[in-house]
Amino acid sequence: MTWYTMDTWIVVVGALAGIACAIPGCFLVLRQMSMMGDAISHAVLPGLALAFLITGSRASVTMFIGAALIGLLTAVFTQWISSWGKVERGASMGIVFTTLFAVGLLLIVQAAHHVELDPGCVLYGALELTPLDTVTPLFWLGLGWETPRAFVVLGIITLVNLALLLLFYKEFKISSFDPNLATTLGINAQKMHYLLMSMVAVTTVAAFEAVGSILVIALLIVPAATAYLLTDRLSTMLLLGGGFGVLAAAMGHFLAVWLPEVHGLPDVSSAGLVAVTSGIFFAAAVLLAPRYGMLGKFLNRRPLKKHKAATPLSPEKT
Amino acid sequence: MNSIFFRFSTLLLLAALSLGMSACAPEEQSSGATDREGPFKVITTTGMVADLVRAVGGEHFEVRSLLGEGTDPHEYSPTRRDVVALQEADLIFYNGLMLEGKMTDILVRMARRGQPVYAATEFVEEREDYLLMDEDDDDYFDPHVWMDVQGWILALDVVRDALTEFLPAEEATFRQNADAFRAELEELDHYSREAIASIPEERRVLVTAHDAFQYMSRAYDIEVRGIQGISTETEAGVRDIEDVVRFVTERNIPAIFVETSVSDRNVRAVIEGARAKGHEIQIGGELFSDAMGPEGTYEGTYIGMIDHNVTTIVRSLGGEAPERGMQGRLGGE
Repeated sequence: MTWYTMDTWIVVVGALAGIACAIPGCFLVLRQMSMMGDAISHAVLPGLALAFLITGSRASVTMFIGAALIGLLTAVFTQWISSWGKVERGASMGIVFTTLFAVGLLLIVQAAHHVELDPGCVLYGALELTPLDTVTPLFWLGLGWETPRAFVVLGIITLVNLALLLLFYKEFKISSFDPNLATTLGINAQKMHYLLMSMVAVTTVAAFEAVGSILVIALLIVPAATAYLLTDRLSTMLLLGGGFGVLAAAMGHFLAVWLPEVHGLPDVSSAGLVAVTSGIFFAAAVLLAPRYGMLGKFLNRRPLKKHKAATPLSPEKT
Repeated sequence: MNSIFFRFSTLLLLAALSLGMSACAPEEQSSGATDREGPFKVITTTGMVADLVRAVGGEHFEVRSLLGEGTDPHEYSPTRRDVVALQEADLIFYNGLMLEGKMTDILVRMARRGQPVYAATEFVEEREDYLLMDEDDDDYFDPHVWMDVQGWILALDVVRDALTEFLPAEEATFRQNADAFRAELEELDHYSREAIASIPEERRVLVTAHDAFQYMSRAYDIEVRGIQGISTETEAGVRDIEDVVRFVTERNIPAIFVETSVSDRNVRAVIEGARAKGHEIQIGGELFSDAMGPEGTYEGTYIGMIDHNVTTIVRSLGGEAPERGMQGRLGGE
């Protein structure tokens, strides 16, 4: 098996995406709005198309701004529809993102007919291509240090997410678990909600150019959900979520390199295997988690039954 | 509690960063070949470009194309192995004019950073008049230049100049090889022109799955009509299909063609539609549009591919062409 420099880069980019996604991802899982990432990553298509139509260029910066704005709009619309339309949040997400996605497709077909604004590319990404697309981020210091663009972008997003998390840790925590308590404590839960949604939108958009939106959703939710099964502490959950994201990136890409060489399979997609790996972690957690896993529940149940049987007259003690 | 968390996440970030740093030890850049012995590695995107490099470079280069038989370049996405090959290549050639979709951006960026990356259609910088526009969009050119043999002769010069720049010592060899191949291409051009001209004029219409034959149309005076646009990424709508059905019925066209690298779904829809209107139409055969035939066969070369296309078209539309093509080599030796 040969491991190239580019393989290290792919793992680093994937790991950064994992950390960047885990931070908002954990809160999405805790707030029971996991599909928000999915909704946003699909809904940004009209943002990409509009940015292209207005500026006429495929420059990443304008595309990024367009996508992030529409992503935020998705969150706002979802909130409006669920509070005014009296439907549950999942349904309003479904309404908003399918509508926006369809508008995006129409815009692409109608206005930018032959533009290589390929929806497939947005959906699947090209993790393998990231090492070829390099920039020299420190050129203003006179350094010719070449790195993949995705590394720079995701590095910045990861740092911003970490900074926001550390700055507003308490606010995020309280408003996620108990918005009413947050309001009485003088924390604007609404503002925290939109801050989180902005993080989700920016992270999703930044990550899916590199890794594709399907993997973004996987990294946003699956590691966070795995961590959720393993702990009751928010800080531990965030650490575990990020850790599982990094592990999934490393193992997933390792498998993508290793499987074709060992089993003579055709080339497999790294992004796909990263998603599969994080799914395997989740399955393992479902089975083996100490308290919430199937094994844990099974082990916990037996002494409880005995205990109940022994003291049938005092159920409040159990 | 918070401080452990703080420290841990900082640690995690540092670990990730240092991993990145250590990974970017300066890689050797391949530019110029003064101190190394051949054969040098050349990677091309399409097989048509690879054929040009093989013909000119001869034994000095080991040529591999990323897109194999039947692969659609518009929708191609490189695998890890392809990326490794691109990074290890001494020279890279691609078609250009956005044929390679998203990969074009990356190839252009590699070229800008000084890596030896060339577009075979580079000649258009001086020959802007040669190019055809995308019919639906003025900002884009039609990339299917190889369909006109004269266009590919221009690309041959681009390849010769690029190889000479890379290995100046072999200039004479490259010129000799290029001239020899040009003679073969001129012969192919002549054959195509004669054969297509033998189709009765009212039937000289080529209906295909996607719009890849505009250059052939202009060069050899045959009307073309694609069901899909130039890129295969945009799907054909119901109206596109109905338009083509009406067109073939009105013009009484006997055959339409499928392409090896494009799904034949739309072509079949047109045949069904025409049949429903009482017009019997055949599939004239499979054309090689964006990819060549199987490697190792005659159809797996540029000349064989064009020979196959021309011969198939001419024979199905009622023109005169030998059954086994220009050199009698079609359908196996």
